[in-house]
Amino acid sequence: MSQQTDIISVLQNRFGRDRVTVQPVCDTVPTVWVTKNRIREVLGFLKTGIEKPFVMLFDMTVIDERLRENRTGQPDSDFTVVYYLISLDRNADVRLKVALDERQAALPSIVDIWPSADWYEREAWDMFGIDFDGHPHMRRILLPQTWTGHPLRKEHPARATEMAYFQLPPEKQAQEEEALRFDPEEWGMKREDGNTDTMFLNLGPQHPGTHGLLRLVLQLDGEEIVDAVPEIGFHHRGAEKMAERQTWHTYIPYTDRVDYLGGVMNNLPYLLAVEKLAGIQVPDRVKVIRIMMAELYRIASHLVFYGTFSQDVGMMSPVFYMFTDRERVFDITTAITGGRMHPMWFRIGGVAQDLPEGWDGLVRDFLTYMDGRLREYESLVLKNRILRKRTRGIGTYDVNEALDWGVTGPNLRACGLEWDLRKKRPYSGYEQFEFDIPIGSRGDVYDRAVMRAEEIRQSLRIIGQCVDNMPAGSHKADHPLAMPPRKERTLHDIETLITHFLAVSWGPVIPPGEAMCFIEATKGWNGYYLVSDGGIHSYRTRIRTPSFAHLQTLPGLIRGLMVPDVLAILGSIDYVLADVDR
Amino acid sequence: MFTNKSVKRTILPGPPVDPLEEALRGNIIMTRLEKIVAWGRKHSLWPFNFGLSCCFVEMATALTSRYDIARFGAEVFRGSPREADLMVIAGTPFIKTAPLILRLYEQMMEPRWVISMGSCANSGGMYDIYSVIQGVDKILPVDVYVPGCPPSPGAFLEGLNLLMESIGTERRPLSHMIGPQEVFKTPPPSMRDRKRRQRQQATVLRSPDKV
Repeated sequence: MSQQTDIISVLQNRFGRDRVTVQPVCDTVPTVWVTKNRIREVLGFLKTGIEKPFVMLFDMTVIDERLRENRTGQPDSDFTVVYYLISLDRNADVRLKVALDERQAALPSIVDIWPSADWYEREAWDMFGIDFDGHPHMRRILLPQTWTGHPLRKEHPARATEMAYFQLPPEKQAQEEEALRFDPEEWGMKREDGNTDTMFLNLGPQHPGTHGLLRLVLQLDGEEIVDAVPEIGFHHRGAEKMAERQTWHTYIPYTDRVDYLGGVMNNLPYLLAVEKLAGIQVPDRVKVIRIMMAELYRIASHLVFYGTFSQDVGMMSPVFYMFTDRERVFDITTAITGGRMHPMWFRIGGVAQDLPEGWDGLVRDFLTYMDGRLREYESLVLKNRILRKRTRGIGTYDVNEALDWGVTGPNLRACGLEWDLRKKRPYSGYEQFEFDIPIGSRGDVYDRAVMRAEEIRQSLRIIGQCVDNMPAGSHKADHPLAMPPRKERTLHDIETLITHFLAVSWGPVIPPGEAMCFIEATKGWNGYYLVSDGGIHSYRTRIRTPSFAHLQTLPGLIRGLMVPDVLAILGSIDYVLADVDR
Repeated sequence: MFTNKSVKRTILPGPPVDPLEEALRGNIIMTRLEKIVAWGRKHSLWPFNFGLSCCFVEMATALTSRYDIARFGAEVFRGSPREADLMVIAGTPFIKTAPLILRLYEQMMEPRWVISMGSCANSGGMYDIYSVIQGVDKILPVDVYVPGCPPSPGAFLEGLNLLMESIGTERRPLSHMIGPQEVFKTPPPSMRDRKRRQRQQATVLRSPDKV
């Protein structure tokens, strides 16, 4: 708490009490409003001007405030731009807000302060129509260039069925394809430079090595990569807009599908944020069950990485072993949750049901089995000489670059920084567990692969402790907003019956407020920033995903390398396209 | 299954066998050309290595050891649409991806088939949202719809088998010169009707309280 007031007073002393106003929020992150013309200065000061600086631009987003009712004490604003910074030295965060008028929805760009702001600013333009002066390539990032409107504005229709019936006649197809044509000059690239003619190669959108639809335009001098422009947005499912029409409870299935390899791991940050808004404390049993299931999905996700990564660098057989082991994880999750990839099993204030009889035997068998398999995989994949030769020393970044670009999770630890949210900011009871944090040293492709392999081992340790020490008790919090609502007393008193009826038919009503929660998810830090206006829907849901930040680093990683290296590096970043585009 | 019951067999002396006739019987089948072509197509589908989202992971799982798509002769995944004859729309089709999907489909040579895998590709599913097409059949013809979000690899293989069944009964012109030039397909069966009897027989469901 002292550190929080600390940074606020530092800012107020420096910039004046009237220019930096404080807003209380549920998640206790110091939140200050800064005026539009001062924001660059304040951000620059926080990054370089203070001791223990805020080195990471963790997230940047916008709130359309025009229909929001509960915002007493906040400055007038049509669109609020929110910057979320993290300082690792302080282990503290700060949230900066800038109020914008609808008629002058523009801010100075901060791409020169944080390179990672590039995509975030483009996203803010695409989704909200906020312009950023001085941004080098201000164009749509998620939606097609031919799109009209900004979908996260409140006036934009949410449903496809509210919009015109979709058709694709040949002339429209030709027009859309034309809009996808890459124009190097637009990106400041030259077709020829002195004596060399460069070639532009389209890798994707459909390519077996891109793990889904992702387009990469490579500028090649011979086989060497001069520059690259990634194009994303081929997987934008409007998950943030969706939250504004689903109830707090019925949004849970959509979180599963964000990082679709992470299963229930995705439910966790969302529910932690909802529980923070609602003031729900969950029982110990819930915490441990959640950790166990989340770690099982971490293993499943890392196994997919392990297999597909080795396939990306040319190994044919490992993927078959790893997918078979993933099936064993799914045997457990099917027995417990009934689902494979998207069990949507966590609930507000608990989990969907208690663990079934005999669950521990299943998990124990898996733990013993998997331990031996990991040793085999190590000799099969990581000790393979060809793989080492292909992956060592390419696609490297150091700690400072990583933080500058907002790289988190295993990709950050691969460069040697021991920073794991489960240790540094334990959530959901991780402080009770014993496990190590694997770190790398070079920050290259090979190290990123080793991180995952080692993390599987640590996850097995955590799961083992869950099985040995599963607390007794309820699988649901005793709270009126916990879902599904309490049934026991409904037939005894009318108040409980009415509350139950409303909560089931309408959905829980979450008190107004703002909260951000992020966790150490499979790919990095995954966070949900929720704004409640005291209704049954969220007013604004922001999903901060690790893959978005990680994929942005790609051009820097592949410059000067060869085309086959691109695929190894893409594989090592471990992104999921739904996690990039949401 | 082997049982302990001993099976008694008595071999009756038959009429004398002509060795030539026996050789012919073992090596020659009598059928119609279009039937044998359809049979060949059915058992050698070459899927296009193309995926959109979550469903693609389950489709890839169908390729691996536990499900083993090679049992149905469809394990040759091709990276180029020009070499493939089956496109599985595994995932969410978007307004931004629609022109690409259609272009890739057009690049596949006839005869070609499409499996729509999962709720998004079938109808938009959970995603009635501005960026998603409400079903891939808005832009190209679909042969089999596999329900699920995502469908399990087993469900995908069932869909593949349905497609194979349909291809086996398809009649296509053998050349531009001979016979009718239309493609005859049997109308797709309704799985709800087909499975109803079996489903109605289930009276006890597995309890979720035990593993």
